[in-house]
Amino acid sequence: MTHRRSFLLASLSLSLLAGNVFAQNKTVAIGYHAPLSGENAQYGILFRNSATLAVDTFNKSGRLPGVTVQLKFEDSKGDAKEGVNIARKFSDDASIVAAIGDFSSTVSMAAGQVYAQTKLAQLSQTASHPDFTKISEYQFRNITTQAYEGPLVANWALSNGAKKIAVVAIQNDWGQSVVSNFVSAVKAGGGEITETELFNPGTRDFRSILTKIARSQPDAIYLGAFYEDGSAFLQQKLQLGLKQQVYGTSSLYEQKLIDLAGPAANNLYLSTTFLVESPEPQVKAFVKDYEARYNSKPQMFAAQAFDATNIVLNAVVAAGGADATRAKVRDALAATKDFPGVTGITSFDPKTREPSKVLARLQIQGGKFVLQK
Amino acid sequence: MFDIFFVQQLVNGLSVGFIYALMAIGFTLIFGVLNVVNFAHGEVYMIGSFAGLMSITAFAPPLFVVILVALAFGALAGFGLERIAFRPFRRFRDEASLKSKAVREATLLSSLAISIIVRELAEKIFGSNMQAIPQEYLLLTPVQIGPLTFANGQFLIFGLSIAMLGGLQWLLKRTRIGLAIRAVANNPMGASYVGINTERTIIATFIIGSTLGAVAGLVVGLYQGAIFPAMGFAPGVKAFVAMVMGGLSSIGGAVVCALILGVSEAVTTSFFAQGWGDLVAYVFLVITLVFFPTGLFGGGRERV
Repeated sequence: MTHRRSFLLASLSLSLLAGNVFAQNKTVAIGYHAPLSGENAQYGILFRNSATLAVDTFNKSGRLPGVTVQLKFEDSKGDAKEGVNIARKFSDDASIVAAIGDFSSTVSMAAGQVYAQTKLAQLSQTASHPDFTKISEYQFRNITTQAYEGPLVANWALSNGAKKIAVVAIQNDWGQSVVSNFVSAVKAGGGEITETELFNPGTRDFRSILTKIARSQPDAIYLGAFYEDGSAFLQQKLQLGLKQQVYGTSSLYEQKLIDLAGPAANNLYLSTTFLVESPEPQVKAFVKDYEARYNSKPQMFAAQAFDATNIVLNAVVAAGGADATRAKVRDALAATKDFPGVTGITSFDPKTREPSKVLARLQIQGGKFVLQK
Repeated sequence: MFDIFFVQQLVNGLSVGFIYALMAIGFTLIFGVLNVVNFAHGEVYMIGSFAGLMSITAFAPPLFVVILVALAFGALAGFGLERIAFRPFRRFRDEASLKSKAVREATLLSSLAISIIVRELAEKIFGSNMQAIPQEYLLLTPVQIGPLTFANGQFLIFGLSIAMLGGLQWLLKRTRIGLAIRAVANNPMGASYVGINTERTIIATFIIGSTLGAVAGLVVGLYQGAIFPAMGFAPGVKAFVAMVMGGLSSIGGAVVCALILGVSEAVTTSFFAQGWGDLVAYVFLVITLVFFPTGLFGGGRERV
């Protein structure tokens, strides 16, 4: 009898314990959608790599004892309709407390319309369209836009003594935002814009633009381009003998720029959020872990996704971990301040939900990107 | 406005014009003989530059050897192109087929198909981005003459255009094969009746035109620092415009019109913005076609 009673007690306490363990092992899910197939698949795959790495590291770290964070990844195929379907699916899944995605502004904004109604916080690692964060108070992004980068570079150039600046950018939506943000910042800072030139995509010969700029005699040139156009521009500038310093957009931070342009790339100033060779400990750890797991060095896009995932994980912790609700996670996201990411220290403006970051300043010297103080 | 920068702008424009001209020469030669647009000329241009670049990365030979490699690959590409895209449509020798518009259009489309296939293949093999070119081969060394800045590539492109134009005139006017080419261009049936081997003549035309295209591609690629699979498209369109403006079959006319296009683009950039350059070029084309329907140098029906 006593034996039997003690056995019952033991099994009771065991089941209680088990129940306790079960209760502690609560799962909180984060939804992530990005293109894993189609034209932009390479970016989605980078995002999945980084997000998986971030979540696995988080679960191992024991920052939320007894809570397992699960990553639910869906392929949006770069298609806005897919994005909407996934957003509905994520919204119906009660375990999901926040969503990350998508890659392009178009898909992110289509999905954002759903999230705005279902009140699920959405963070995009790359959507840079100005209207994205204006959809509702549930949209966030951790990529800086030209509205942030332009003034930063403008002040940098002005403080380096360049008062008269010419602007050259590619003729598209992005290029126009490069021009408008930079030009207004230079004027506000007391500088002068000598010439504004937009070049057609596919331009190979920049000599006539360069000659026109040379006539206006600026102290510096601001170049908004991607590495292929950028390298041709820099080579022809060197050949024509223009001595002006060139400041570039962060889009020029590519090893291929140096490979293509060679010595012509030297002395180019540019800013970036992510620097593979950065001595910062969190960047070093990320690069090491990423390389060990995926056999390639992470680039800017992988780093953006890594930070996006960690920002959401941070918000889940701040929202109470196991007790996190969608509303609490949203408020915690909006309160993100001085988050020490691999793409710089990120804060969200509580009102506009626009990110601000500390951008690293680089100069190409002797064929290498060199961090400037 | 009309200062030294304007003169420099004219230099820039002429150098762009000579790039179009280099391409237009081979283009117009082939058109003159077959009366069919060869859409694959841009891909021959690309093949020349890739062949040259591969020989540079493999053996690092002197520049004239690289040009010879491009020449050889251009000849091969021209021969292959004629064999695959053009000859199958010349099976029917009756007069109705020779005059048939359907056959002409089929030929035009088959050259377009070859051009797309070759370009896509190159993109699959090399990737669609620009290839890195060893710095010592770039034709971008500055040459200062007074206040004007030139690049050594500009002199090479200028010299090459003159040499091609002169060499071609000599070939067409002074050699037997040139005589045969002119005869076939003028009247293919008549030429075959008087004993000219039209097939061989057409092959020869393709080989000559394509070697010129391939060398042009290599030199321009090294001068612009840009070698990539789709590189032939943009200058190909301008070469086509120059050819139409020049009167379709006048090689000298195409060269002059190519120069007009290049200079008008540069001057437009100087006075307005670069985005207006293409517009001005095409306005010139429309004006030419309205007032000179046979082109500026079309002059009657004589071709080549």
